[in-house]
Amino acid sequence: MRRKVLKTILINLIVWILALAWTLPYIGIVAISVMPYREVIIKGWLRIPDVNSLTIKNYIEALNNPLYDLATGYKNSLIVASISTLIPLIGAALAAYAFSNLDFRLKPLLFGLILVIMMVPQQLTVVPLFFLYRNLGLYNTVQGIILLHSAWGIAWITFFLRNYFKFLPRSLIEAARVDGASDFRIFSRIVLPLSIPGLMAAALLQFTWVWNDLFYALIFLVSRENQVVTQKVVMLKGEYHIDWGLLAAGSIISMSMPVILYAVFNKYFMRGIAAWGVKR
Amino acid sequence: MRGASLKLWGITKRFRNVVAVDNLNLEVDRGEFIVLLGPSGCGKTTTLRIIAGLETPDEGRVYIDGVDVTDLEPGERDVAMVFQDYALYPHMTVYENIAFPLVVRASKLRLTKKDIEERVLRVAKMLRIDDLLDRKPTQLSGGQQQRVALARALVREPKIWLMDEPLSNLDALVRLQVRAELKKLQKDLGITTVYVTHDQVEALSLADRVAVMNKGRILQVGSPSEVYDDPKHIFVATFVGIPPMNLLECRVSDVIECPGFKRKLPGEYFKGLSKLYIGIRPEHIEIVSKEEGDFEGVVYVVEPLGSEYIVNVLVDSTLIKVKTAKELTLHSGEKVYLKIDWRKAIAFDPATELSLGKIPITVYSQS
Repeated sequence: MRRKVLKTILINLIVWILALAWTLPYIGIVAISVMPYREVIIKGWLRIPDVNSLTIKNYIEALNNPLYDLATGYKNSLIVASISTLIPLIGAALAAYAFSNLDFRLKPLLFGLILVIMMVPQQLTVVPLFFLYRNLGLYNTVQGIILLHSAWGIAWITFFLRNYFKFLPRSLIEAARVDGASDFRIFSRIVLPLSIPGLMAAALLQFTWVWNDLFYALIFLVSRENQVVTQKVVMLKGEYHIDWGLLAAGSIISMSMPVILYAVFNKYFMRGIAAWGVKR
Repeated sequence: MRGASLKLWGITKRFRNVVAVDNLNLEVDRGEFIVLLGPSGCGKTTTLRIIAGLETPDEGRVYIDGVDVTDLEPGERDVAMVFQDYALYPHMTVYENIAFPLVVRASKLRLTKKDIEERVLRVAKMLRIDDLLDRKPTQLSGGQQQRVALARALVREPKIWLMDEPLSNLDALVRLQVRAELKKLQKDLGITTVYVTHDQVEALSLADRVAVMNKGRILQVGSPSEVYDDPKHIFVATFVGIPPMNLLECRVSDVIECPGFKRKLPGEYFKGLSKLYIGIRPEHIEIVSKEEGDFEGVVYVVEPLGSEYIVNVLVDSTLIKVKTAKELTLHSGEKVYLKIDWRKAIAFDPATELSLGKIPITVYSQS
């Protein structure tokens, strides 16, 4: 009995310490972002901020100073991430329906191709893509990066949704077929409405992935007016001087979208992760 | 009459190396209620799915009203199917579920919204679910879901009704009730119905004709009483009936030698056989006094079933089941005398497993 209590206490202690260690950087960033620069430098960052000196100056600066201009980045990110979620979701849902419900000749081959695409490391494709984009005039365009993310997204979402569709009861689809429904109607009236949790999970994972991308953005978006928020955050850090408050505020702005999405839809995130294992 | 005739001709369906349906032939008349009865894996559901168009046969053709529909899509065959799990669309209300087959054909059948509503309401009233139309399927009981599934299959007045074990997910009591209603409904509407089940009671009580299937083949098609009283195959004899038919293994020479008794065999019967089975239903064996008995045995165990008893009697080393309604005070190990109603006994050839017909009177009337 006493050993059991001891064990519970010990486990709780360990978990709390881990949780604290895990969240400390975030708490730190929030604290720094609302403190004046002077205070951060003189008094250090790991403390409860002085209420009287709290400020949102860093946020305003980060968003609006034309030097950094996170507002534009945020807007660009929203556009890129939304469209790069919508396009592959629609395309992949259609493809996934075909893979799960129709018989056609090249099905195993095409499905194998999707798996191969999912396994290719992104870094490997950058050089050929760069030349392709330059020749097509897509280099440094928002459309170009949307196309890129959509292409990556469509492969894994097809795979993900196909597995999801496979788990729908077969008899529902067969019943609809006997009732005389066409494939498109079965897709739109039966399969899609029943797969909303799966579609949500896929959309959220894809959106977050695109939002957090820095690698492709750094390579394919160069001009200030096209850059996304993750690139803008990097620019908050000067070469010789780092304004910690400004950088912290920028980081929080940049991660605000994924955090909000997670807070609102965390049920779907869980389901998505459970269905997926680890995404990439 | 709405129903159509149905003909299956030489249907064979293989799944990889497994033959699910093996050269199956079946003709169903207009308005007939036919039940495919057999153990799981016998090919009955595959046969039903082939009629529906959900599977394509490897060989053979399917005709509905004389028209070859083998290559038509399920939706073009004008058949309706009730699935074992009902397959109600969980995101739609009861109304939307029932209306679905009409909505998808609305333009083809030139139906207006009002036409659809009228027809849905009519069917819903008939099946007494008109007060449930706004509910979702998950808010219904099993019996109600069953009715919605039937309504959805009825609403477009199909030529053929296909049912895949539609009662197997219901409670025993509800099942009895729905079974009776189903039969009434089918008779009133006259829709040709093909019904799949492994439950022989269901088959015998519902069917105009029963087709008993095993290993992808139909072994016998006939009215419930034909299948029960005059099985043409050992499998039919032992699959239909609770408990199944007793099979007595008898040796044949110039005498016929069965467990417990021997009879002289007039020359012309069962020539060329060295062995045969005599099949006799448990209710056609009687426990009688020593004088009347054909042979004796020892009570192995008595199973009371409420209104009747199943007495297991050991004769030599063969266990014979006797069904009797008589009040009995028998104990294990007690000696009893059995009398067979020979007019009901059937001989089977062990090699072909086929029926050889009734036992000739000259064999059993000897004393």
